[in-house]
Amino acid sequence: MTSSAPRLTVVTGADDSAARWRKRALSTASHAALIIASILMLYPLLWMLSASFRPENEIFSSSTLWPSSWSLDAYVRGWNGLRVSFGTFFLNSFIIAILAIIGNLATCSLAAFAFARLEFRGRSFWFALMLGTLMLPYQVTLIPQYVLFQGLGWINTILPLVVPKFLAADAFFIFLMVQFFRGIPKELDEAAQMDGCSPWRIYWKVLLPLSTPVLATAGVFTFIWTWDDFFGPLIYLSDIRTYTVMLGLRTFVDSTAQSDWGGLFAMSSLSLLPIFLFFLFFQRLLIDGIATTGMKR
Amino acid sequence: MTAHSYSAADSAAKLGRAVTPSFWSRMWTRDAPGYLFLLPWFIGFFGLTLGPMLTSLYLSFTDFDLLTSPNWVGMDNYTRIFTADPKFAASMRVTFFFVIFSVPLKLAFALAVALLLNRGMRGLPLYRAVFYLPSLLGASVAIAVLWRQLFAGDGVVNDFLAIFGIEGPSWISNPRYSLWTLIVLSIWQFGSPMIIFLAGLRQIPQDMYEAASLDGASKSRMFWKITLPLLTPVVFFNAVIQTIDAFKSFTPAFIISGGTGNPINSTLFYTLYLYQEAFGFFRMGYASALAWVLLAIVAAFTGFSFLTSKYWVHYDE
Repeated sequence: MTSSAPRLTVVTGADDSAARWRKRALSTASHAALIIASILMLYPLLWMLSASFRPENEIFSSSTLWPSSWSLDAYVRGWNGLRVSFGTFFLNSFIIAILAIIGNLATCSLAAFAFARLEFRGRSFWFALMLGTLMLPYQVTLIPQYVLFQGLGWINTILPLVVPKFLAADAFFIFLMVQFFRGIPKELDEAAQMDGCSPWRIYWKVLLPLSTPVLATAGVFTFIWTWDDFFGPLIYLSDIRTYTVMLGLRTFVDSTAQSDWGGLFAMSSLSLLPIFLFFLFFQRLLIDGIATTGMKR
Repeated sequence: MTAHSYSAADSAAKLGRAVTPSFWSRMWTRDAPGYLFLLPWFIGFFGLTLGPMLTSLYLSFTDFDLLTSPNWVGMDNYTRIFTADPKFAASMRVTFFFVIFSVPLKLAFALAVALLLNRGMRGLPLYRAVFYLPSLLGASVAIAVLWRQLFAGDGVVNDFLAIFGIEGPSWISNPRYSLWTLIVLSIWQFGSPMIIFLAGLRQIPQDMYEAASLDGASKSRMFWKITLPLLTPVVFFNAVIQTIDAFKSFTPAFIISGGTGNPINSTLFYTLYLYQEAFGFFRMGYASALAWVLLAIVAAFTGFSFLTSKYWVHYDE
């Protein structure tokens, strides 16, 4: 045993260096692959950004990313490229997104609290129905909803885009919050209940303060999805003064795109900026939020 | 416990009234809070989901056109859909082609990159962020606009190909390639399933690999025998979510084809066709029937996946 030990180490030592070499080669190759993939992924975005700062005649002639001279002309042209300026569109989009965030956070958390924490008859039945609506294609409710909102005189207002959020229509967020609430120790509620807290106080004073991560995640996703939403505004908003940024962009494509690519790219880049900022500051939350949806717990 | 309980039964007992609370008061203390908390959701569920669903089922048997009141036409809409509507057939072909190619390719990319990143790479957060960003931005009109330019005849893709002396076609306006540009756009957004794969990979216990490697198992064997089986719940989740999303996709096809679904209906997504029927021609009854066909397809697909899942998805315990 003792005599064979040194021989063994020599052999494994040689093996080790070969293995280490192979490992390093593999790691370098992986990094190379990932870096090439990253460049491919980001190139379209960087190209658009750089195109928006180029002088008009240079957009398509030069394939380098760095413009020979920087110009903000395209932003000025694009901003005022339509009958109503993009300032109005941005304002409309922000108002809709902020109201949507408030609605989603308030009502989805109420529903999630009931599903995660309260005992009542029919709970699992309603919970299953709620999960079922996650799979429902929106086209199935689209036309009657349109007729309803039209009957209420809500066309060309933001109400059809905002009111559903105050009725917990985004089942995804209920689901996300239920998952999170279930992770909060139940002993906390039980203690509060013994101290005479009503369900409302438990919700407001115990659960919500502990739930800032999931509330923030839901808020950021609501912002991004509402900001990006195209179909809703397309159907409900036809007066250009009520347009969101996405509708403004689409109108820009239809009316002037062939002549003013610079302005189009400038406004496109600008429309992505709020989402990019959210991504920059809340990356951790977004990634954790996405990751937990796929997990059972 | 009982002394501090807030239930009405106890307070009633303390006050010396009925020791056994009535049926109604028990129901009030036990069930009312749950239903009160669910009140906004209930209004939404009945007013914006269930009610409209049933209404659209009814409308699908009528000739509703938004202006005049609907007339019952029986199965006419459905008969026309399945026997006499070439655009329906075209949109089905386009949508299924899109789903069948975009979902597996996107998931394969997501899994491959997740496996690569999961090897404890340095710079993981940076790579992860770079790959995730497109899936946040991808649904935007701005990206569809950009895509239209990238794959145009004089677009960036062809500029790039020209370096190698290849003269690319106008991808967007050529019916052979136009749908592929949308598939590429979908694959470009592989970041969000990738994040879910990464989280799933994290949950696989390391000691399983250690045990396997002591037994002399090769890397590829470990992937097929440990990683993939334990990851099947996540694969399943991603596949279902991505497929439903792919069926619902609308914006890119709308923007890239200018709302037409052209060239030669090659990007006529089902959702786009439905939109045209409903809000272009105001054939609301017909569009409702189209919506119910879509629901039937999505439901059939979801049911099928859940039924077959027990044969290939491994849940522990």
